[in-house]
Amino acid sequence: MSPDRALSRRLKGERRRVALRSTLVQAVWNYDSLQAVGFGWAILPGLERIRPEPAERAQRLHAHLETFNANPYLATVAMGVTLRLEEEIARGAAGAERRLARLLRALRGSLGAIGDDLFWASWRPALGVAAALAALATGSVWPAVVYVLAWNALAQGVRAAGVRAGFAAGAGVARVLQDPFWAGARSGARLGGSFAAGAALGAGAAWATTGGGGWGGAAIFFALVALLWLAGARVGPRGRILPPALAFLVAVAVLGAIRHWTAGAWP
Amino acid sequence: MTGAEFGALTALGAVVFLDQWPAVQTMISRPIVVGPIVGAVLGAPTDGVLWGAVLETMALAVQPVGAARYPDAALAGLLGTAAALTGFHEGLFPAGWAVVVAVAAGAAGDAVGRLQRRWNGRTAAGVRARVAAGSLAAPGRGIAVALSRAAALGALQTAVGLAIVLAGVAILGSSAWAGWLDARALQVAAAGMAAVGGVRVLGLEGRRSAAAAAGALAGFALFAWGGP
Repeated sequence: MSPDRALSRRLKGERRRVALRSTLVQAVWNYDSLQAVGFGWAILPGLERIRPEPAERAQRLHAHLETFNANPYLATVAMGVTLRLEEEIARGAAGAERRLARLLRALRGSLGAIGDDLFWASWRPALGVAAALAALATGSVWPAVVYVLAWNALAQGVRAAGVRAGFAAGAGVARVLQDPFWAGARSGARLGGSFAAGAALGAGAAWATTGGGGWGGAAIFFALVALLWLAGARVGPRGRILPPALAFLVAVAVLGAIRHWTAGAWP
Repeated sequence: MTGAEFGALTALGAVVFLDQWPAVQTMISRPIVVGPIVGAVLGAPTDGVLWGAVLETMALAVQPVGAARYPDAALAGLLGTAAALTGFHEGLFPAGWAVVVAVAAGAAGDAVGRLQRRWNGRTAAGVRARVAAGSLAAPGRGIAVALSRAAALGALQTAVGLAIVLAGVAILGSSAWAGWLDARALQVAAAGMAAVGGVRVLGLEGRRSAAAAAGALAGFALFAWGGP
């Protein structure tokens, strides 16, 4: 059997269970150890196989309960890497424990940044804009259904594939993540999000000029404004002028009150 | 709103609180999905779809990147849609009312989320201590405790929020304030959001930023007021 094939078969069932458990990686998210408890619980099936002796297993589990954080969908890559290096540690490989600790520290930053750009800053706004506009135009429940299916096809797919990819890369994962492909992917994802915002602006403007009006017109206007806000949040300076919620409440209260006052109709 | 509808929405609040960050994150907690479900529960599925879409556009501006604090979009979507639909039933034009409820719910839900994270800190410390003592079951138990607490908090904040929404609808709907938070107010408020967003796009800071924000706010407000 080739080394690659042997590697892909190792801990196969356990890796599946790890991927499934990774759905709860944020269950005990807190300000001290972040995702560490969820991370430790998720990799337990693999540790159980690697370390049959409970006392040794508890010791290794404890080492993973200090601090961990990453994008929740990409955290599985770190889980795969951990299982691979835990095998080396169990075999007594020199420096493996230190290497794993260093790798996990590095992965926290890079998996967080890549995941945030791909999922939160691009894929979700793009899908959300498309679904919101489709829902406003049709009044149908189907855009919401497609939104959930499309999100999960990517996000849960990445989650499932992450353990396998991390396990296959092992300590080489740092080299993989330094590949220019990821910088390109992040840049492309940001462009995709901007393209979605622009497409929505065009669609909304077309609808408004061809006779949306009424309640629907107000809704599309609101959508356009929110998109402008979104574009501002991503392109402009990082410092806040006003917290969005406070700005919005102030605008509602002050301008609504002025309008009512000028209409001479205070209750 | 009947008792069964109240109970169903409270249960939905527990589910979407869990989905928002503690478990799975399938995005069923997004307003675009929560809106139609609330609409179906309250007997107005099409209105629920439209309100879900509008509130989704509000939530799109917020991205949970890095250590950012962000409003509870799930609770905002749930209570905002419920406010719109119950307000409409009571003759209260719901647009501004629903948005105000959604914004307030987003802020309140954020506070509850931070509380849950702080409690999770104690749970995590307990888990670490028990694992150090040799318990391999401690992480699983800790996760079960944290998820149960999250579901209870989600249900509780939804029930309290719904009670406030119903009280607000009863007070506003029967008073001369009905119609104050109407569609035009929504447009004007949206113009305020546009002004802040526009200034960010321009990248201005300091006094120029404040002047540009004020001018943009006035221009947008006038347009929204007298525009088509």
